[in-house]
Amino acid sequence: MSDGLSALQQRMAEALREQHSLPQHAQWSAFAEQHIAGNARLSPAQQLEIYREQFWLRHTSALVEDFPGLGGILGQEEWEKLAEQYLTEVTPDSYDLRDLGARLPEVIERATWLSHQALCLDMARLELAYIEVFDARDTPPLSPERLATIPEEAFADARLVIAPSVRLLSVRYPVGNLRRKLRASADQTVPIPGPGQQHLVVYRLERQLWDMPVSKVAFTFLAGLASGKTLGAAAELAVDGPEAEAELSSSIGAWLQEWTVKGLVSDVA
Amino acid sequence: MTARQPPPLDLGVGIGLRVPHYAAILAEHPHVDFFEVISENFLIEGGKPLYHLDRVLEHYPIVQHGVSLGIAGPDEPDRTYLTRLKALARRTKTPWVSDHFCWSGAGGAHLHDLLPIPYTPEAVRRTVERARMIQDFLEVPFALENASSYLTFRSSTMSEWEFISEVADRADIGLLFDVNNVYVSAYNHGFDAHEFVRSVPHQRIFQIHLAGHTNLGTHIIDTHNGAVIDPVLDLYRQTIALAGSVSTLIEWDDDIPALPVLLAEAERARHVRDEGLALRDGRPLPVAAASTTAAVARTDVTGWKQGGPRESAAHETVR
Repeated sequence: MSDGLSALQQRMAEALREQHSLPQHAQWSAFAEQHIAGNARLSPAQQLEIYREQFWLRHTSALVEDFPGLGGILGQEEWEKLAEQYLTEVTPDSYDLRDLGARLPEVIERATWLSHQALCLDMARLELAYIEVFDARDTPPLSPERLATIPEEAFADARLVIAPSVRLLSVRYPVGNLRRKLRASADQTVPIPGPGQQHLVVYRLERQLWDMPVSKVAFTFLAGLASGKTLGAAAELAVDGPEAEAELSSSIGAWLQEWTVKGLVSDVA
Repeated sequence: MTARQPPPLDLGVGIGLRVPHYAAILAEHPHVDFFEVISENFLIEGGKPLYHLDRVLEHYPIVQHGVSLGIAGPDEPDRTYLTRLKALARRTKTPWVSDHFCWSGAGGAHLHDLLPIPYTPEAVRRTVERARMIQDFLEVPFALENASSYLTFRSSTMSEWEFISEVADRADIGLLFDVNNVYVSAYNHGFDAHEFVRSVPHQRIFQIHLAGHTNLGTHIIDTHNGAVIDPVLDLYRQTIALAGSVSTLIEWDDDIPALPVLLAEAERARHVRDEGLALRDGRPLPVAAASTTAAVARTDVTGWKQGGPRESAAHETVR
């Protein structure tokens, strides 16, 4: 639909995403003079500026709200700079503001000026996982009794269906604990932690969010199941040496029991 | 085409369902005729928001109000959005679905705002076509709300009330008549709010919105952050006198007060509604209700978001 109305709206949408004040900008002031009536109190460019300011305030505050851990690491000045970079590079394209920060990790990867870039990247990935898990599809958890009905000879070929409200995340920093400390600290003066790799299972149980650190072997095994591999194939994926094999064989029963009780498994296929 | 007239039932006086009140509503089941939800907060697949919605639905009627349709924009309506909206309407059994006379983005960008429309025949055609399509698709009565605006276009060839009346009549849809928005836009653009109220097709008003706003002197922003001021209630009384008993909702989305304050505000509106109905019927006016809350004058307008805070992962304690 290419017409006068659409062309006007397209240009106005570009104006509203401008980073700088429109009345100071000759080109946008001319655009406003041409299309907007203005009144005795506000010029056309000042009226258009009301909407531009709202675009930036609304979207910046949505990011700040959804990524409190990231904000706690960065502090207000760096966070605002990152939000500006993000909103300049990434066009909001979902009707739902919940999706606004979906590409934050990729922008953080390009933001080499950040003081704690790797930590920020991990925090953004974790907070995105929380967002996704929070309102993912509800599925009834598999009962431990149902799991017990798998015959031993069929065990290796069975496939466990991992619930939609589960995300698996390898991080280089203990960001789950850092986020909890930041939230508990009113003034947010929390020391930045050193590196410490973690394999996290982010999940929802009875409408509560949880993150659970697991061993690398358990994580790889669970990731295999989540990708649709059979129990046997997922176990092979997780075993990269004798130690891993020993851990897997001694723990697999307890893991499956725990993951079932925690609602990570929704079915057996 | 879905039959959509006569206008739907009068639900009474309701309030917006907002996160800070969930606990009190679910524990105490206060007297409220109905709740309105922001549709976009529930176009999801599971988790806490839908759980709470279902619990509220067990006790109250709910109407759905959207903020993301952008019906008059250059891009065609988003089919995925409409499909989810329809599924939610089936879940809530909303008697109607509403959104705004506005556009919200262009070229795939979504600006999450209720942007003003040039009031032209071209915009009428586009809005009418889409409103018909959406109403048929949703299979429930559809209504559009007059939005507040902070600018007008030189290309407009008709007034806002002429525009919304023509769209509503030609598309055969309802109006969600926001009386506060009439007041806000009248101040911002210097037109007569009473003429607006007199001129719309009253038989098409499905629902009325009332809210507070922020007067910055040079312009008013529709912030929904305080009590409804008396001049807006005067317009509301006039609207009811002309339109009859119409479902009425108090919106309060920023600086959200405790639930009793909001319920008192709803009772204040109910009294004015009774006055409007008395005027309509030529009866004596009921005894005046005491004003419950002073109008809030604020100057710190920040990134205001319709519907108040979302229920989101950010507010959760992760264990």
